[in-house]
Amino acid sequence: MTNTPFTQWKLTGGEASFSSPSECSKRASKFERTIHRRNLIEYAAGVFIAALMGASGVGAFIKGEALIGASLLITVLGVFVVMWGLHKRGSNLQRHPEDPCLVHLRRQYERQFEALRAVPLWYIGPLVPGVTLLYLAVTARVAETIGWIDALGGIASSAGITFGIFGLVALANWFAARSLKQKIDEIDALA
Amino acid sequence: MTHTPDTLYQQAGNEFAPAIARLARAVERDADKARDLEQEIHCALWTSFQRFNGDCALKTWVYRVAHNVAADHIAKAVRGPKKVPLEEIDALPAAANPESEAAEALVLAQVGELIRSLPPLDAQTIVLWLEGESAAAISDITGLSAGAVSVRVHRIKTLLADHFEMGEPT
Repeated sequence: MTNTPFTQWKLTGGEASFSSPSECSKRASKFERTIHRRNLIEYAAGVFIAALMGASGVGAFIKGEALIGASLLITVLGVFVVMWGLHKRGSNLQRHPEDPCLVHLRRQYERQFEALRAVPLWYIGPLVPGVTLLYLAVTARVAETIGWIDALGGIASSAGITFGIFGLVALANWFAARSLKQKIDEIDALA
Repeated sequence: MTHTPDTLYQQAGNEFAPAIARLARAVERDADKARDLEQEIHCALWTSFQRFNGDCALKTWVYRVAHNVAADHIAKAVRGPKKVPLEEIDALPAAANPESEAAEALVLAQVGELIRSLPPLDAQTIVLWLEGESAAAISDITGLSAGAVSVRVHRIKTLLADHFEMGEPT
């Protein structure tokens, strides 16, 4: 072998040149349009769910089911809080790629760690009051005809699945956050 | 002498375009994606020069931006094989293309596989070392302590020397 990897490495890429500033402008505009479109889709999905649940809530009020109506409207409020949390976390990223790589990497991990650690607070928490009240309202309504014991027995499995999913999401994010914390500690040891 | 963002971009292009192309091709196996990453780095540099105040050398600034954008690109990409720290690697991985007949192309392919299998800071160190940067410069660019850089460079040298029987780089 005539060339070591060290010398061979620098023999490649010689033809490369920087993109023109106009290409960078075009690229930045395209990126902004993509983000704008993605945000619109997310907001439209949130508004669709909110409108559907809101209409159901209003319908329940009209039928005289005040507690069910209130629980659906509280869930709609929860959906808006989650959307606001997503927006806040997505838009507060300040990019400074000129920082030392270790600082940059730590900042990315730290940001992901904070978001994952707080999932129960900003992603699951806002939905819990509305969903809980909805289960209570439906159980109370059913209990009027078949009694509380049978009503609670009937609702237990679906409530268990719902809150079980909430718990699993929180647990998975907690494990992911713990793994990121370990990476942050490893990075700190290298500084 | 005052440097405008445009002149800094031009100067960076004249001096570092090949190094950035090599970085993009090292971290991204797919040629089209590598070209896209290369352009993403150019544009990140173009934007960043608005903030350049001369606190560090142009080279340090360019490499920091390039390596950070490349690390973000890897993080955004579909989850690949688990990254293995440099100290846990005993031998160079096999090249992705076993039919590669040219020995020199195979060497670079194997080095590329090694780089892509490493965590970001290890990969950044090996690429900067291959670019011929000193331990002090690598430390300045990456933020790693001098000790952490020297441990990594020593490990890389040992790995490559075992495999290719190469001489000590300067």
